Amino acid sequence: MLSVMVVAATLFSVTTVMDSVETSIEKGTARLGADIMVVPAEAEAQAKTALLAGEPSTFYMDRSIEDKVRKVKGVKAVASQVFLKTAQYKCCSVGNMLLIGFDPKHDFTIMPWLSKELTRPLGTDEIIMGRGLTAYNVGSKIKFYGKYFEVVGMLEETGMKFIDNSVFMPYAAMKKLAEESKHKKGVKAANLPIDKISTVLVQVEPEISPQRVAIFIEHDIPGVKAIVSEQVISSVRKQLFVLLRSILSISIILWIMALLLIGVVFSMIVNERQREIGLLRAMGAKKSNIFRLIMTEASILSIMGGIVGIVLGGAFLYAFKGFIRSSLNIPYLWPSAAEYAVLVAGCLLLSFLTGAVAALWPAIRSMRMEPYEAIRRGE
Amino acid sequence: MIEVKELTKTYKVGSDIIKAVDHVNLEVKKGEFISILGHSGSGKTTLLSLIGGLTKPDSGTVRIDGTDIWSISDNDLSELRNRKINFIYQFASLIPTLNIIENVLVPTAFRPKDEPINYYEFAMELLDIVGIKDKARSYPAHLSGGQQRRAAIARAFINNPEIILADEPTGDLDEETEAEIMDLFKRMNKAKGITFIIVTHSSDLARQTEKRYRMANGILKEEA
Repeated sequence: MLSVMVVAATLFSVTTVMDSVETSIEKGTARLGADIMVVPAEAEAQAKTALLAGEPSTFYMDRSIEDKVRKVKGVKAVASQVFLKTAQYKCCSVGNMLLIGFDPKHDFTIMPWLSKELTRPLGTDEIIMGRGLTAYNVGSKIKFYGKYFEVVGMLEETGMKFIDNSVFMPYAAMKKLAEESKHKKGVKAANLPIDKISTVLVQVEPEISPQRVAIFIEHDIPGVKAIVSEQVISSVRKQLFVLLRSILSISIILWIMALLLIGVVFSMIVNERQREIGLLRAMGAKKSNIFRLIMTEASILSIMGGIVGIVLGGAFLYAFKGFIRSSLNIPYLWPSAAEYAVLVAGCLLLSFLTGAVAALWPAIRSMRMEPYEAIRRGE
Repeated sequence: MIEVKELTKTYKVGSDIIKAVDHVNLEVKKGEFISILGHSGSGKTTLLSLIGGLTKPDSGTVRIDGTDIWSISDNDLSELRNRKINFIYQFASLIPTLNIIENVLVPTAFRPKDEPINYYEFAMELLDIVGIKDKARSYPAHLSGGQQRRAAIARAFINNPEIILADEPTGDLDEETEAEIMDLFKRMNKAKGITFIIVTHSSDLARQTEKRYRMANGILKEEA
C-alpha cells in the first residue's frame, strides 16, 4: 500500500503540474487570440518574456506597420496594441503594471474573453482587468497617472501573466490619459510615443500555416519579428517537459519497483496463507474464488494506497502552489474540477492496475495449489 | 456410497519413493461410522485427503454416490466437496481474522446465492449444540483449544454434509471434551445419517466406532 501511495502521490503531482502548464499555455494562447505576434525585431526576447512571464516591458514601432501586416498574404485579421508601464509614483495605484491600449474596432483579443459580456463600447475612463489582479473587481476604481478609471470587466483567468496581470483600455483612452498626464501637477507624465504601436496581433487564414505567414511578414516588412504563438508554446513545453519527463521517468521506475514489491509481498502473503487457502478449497472454494480473493485484496489495498497518495500529492501541490508558480516562471493555471476528476480517476486506475498486475502471479499460484499440499505446507 | 478401489499415492522424499497409500480398497455405506487406526506416518491422513478430493491419487479410483471424483472437473469437485463432504482437522483450522460465527459460515459463501436457508440461524443453532453459542462474536485467539475445535465441528455441519472426514478430531483434547465430541458425532450420525470416517491413533476412540480399520505403511486392513 505504501509503495502504491508513493507512486500515486508522485504521478498525481507531476501529471497535475504537466497538465496545468499545458492547459495554461493552450488557454492563454487561445485567449491571446492571435496566431502571430509582430514586434520590433530588437524586442523579440522582451516580447517573449512579456508573453510568458508577464514581465511588463514596453517597445514601440511605427503605426504604419499595422497596415503593412494587414496586406501580407495569408493574414486574415490584425489588431494592434500599445504598451504603457505605470509609474511607481503616487500618481498610480499600482506601479510597474502593464497598461495595454487596444483598438476596439479591430480587436479580437480582449473583448471576446470577458468573463461577463460587455454590450456597450468602453468609455474613456473605463478599463478591463486581467484576473490576476485579485485586489480589484468590477466596479473598483483604480488610479493611473492621476486619473481614476472604473473596472467594467474582468477577463477570465488564463495563467499567462501577460494577460492576467495587465490592464486593458481603448487606445483612444490611453492617448487621452497620456496627454492629460502632461498637464497634471505632481503627476509624472506618461511616456507614450505618438503614432507608435507595440505589437500587431495577427490571425491567419485557415488554409495557411502561421509559420508561413510569419515568414511572409518578416520578408515583406523589414525590422519586425513575427513570433508564432505555437512556437513559443512548443519551446516552453520542451523546456518544461524535459524536467517533468525526468520526474515522470523516476515515477515510472518507482512504479516498476512498486509492482515488483507488491508482487513479492503478495507472494509472501500467499505463502503465509497456504493453509487458509487449502482450507477454503477443502470447504468448497473453487479456483476462481481463490483467484478473486487474492486479486480483490490486492486491488483494495492498491486503491487505498492510491487514494492516500492522491490526497498527499494534492496536499503537496496545495502547500507548495506559490513556490511552483514562482519557480516555473511560466504560465500556470490550476486544473479545473473536471480535469482534476480525470487526473484522480487516472491515478486511481493506475493504482488499481498496479495492485492487480503485481498480484496476478501470486493469485495464479495460489489458485493452482493442491488443497492437501497447501494445508500440509501451511502447517 | 464411498467406494475406494486400488487407491495408490506415492511421495518422493529425496531419492526415496514412499508409498503413503498402497492399493487401498474400501467401501463405506451411507450412514456408517468407521475409524481408521494407525501410527503417525502410516498414510491415514493421505487416505482421508484422497477420499475427500484434496489430493490426486497416482492410481485407483474414489467413487462417491457412483461419481468418480477424479474424473470430474475441478469446479465440479469443489462443488461436490461443498455439498457432500466436510473435514475436521487435528489442528486449529479457524481463520484468525474472522469471528466464530463468521468462521462457521465460511462454507456457505461458496453455496448458490439463491438458497432459501437462513444460514445465520442455523450456525447459531450449531454453536448452541456444540456449547459455544456465547462465543459467536469472539475471535479464535480468545477461545481455548477445545472451544476452537467445537467451532470447527459446527462449521463442518453447516452445509448439511453427507460425509464427515475427521482427522484426529480429538487429538489434543482432554478426555471429557473428547467424550462430548464423540457423543455429538454419534448423535449427528444417528439423527442425520451422516457418514463418518474418523482417522485416529487412539484405540479407545476407534473402539467407539461401528467398524474399524488399521493402516500401516500405506496398507489398509479391516479389524475384526
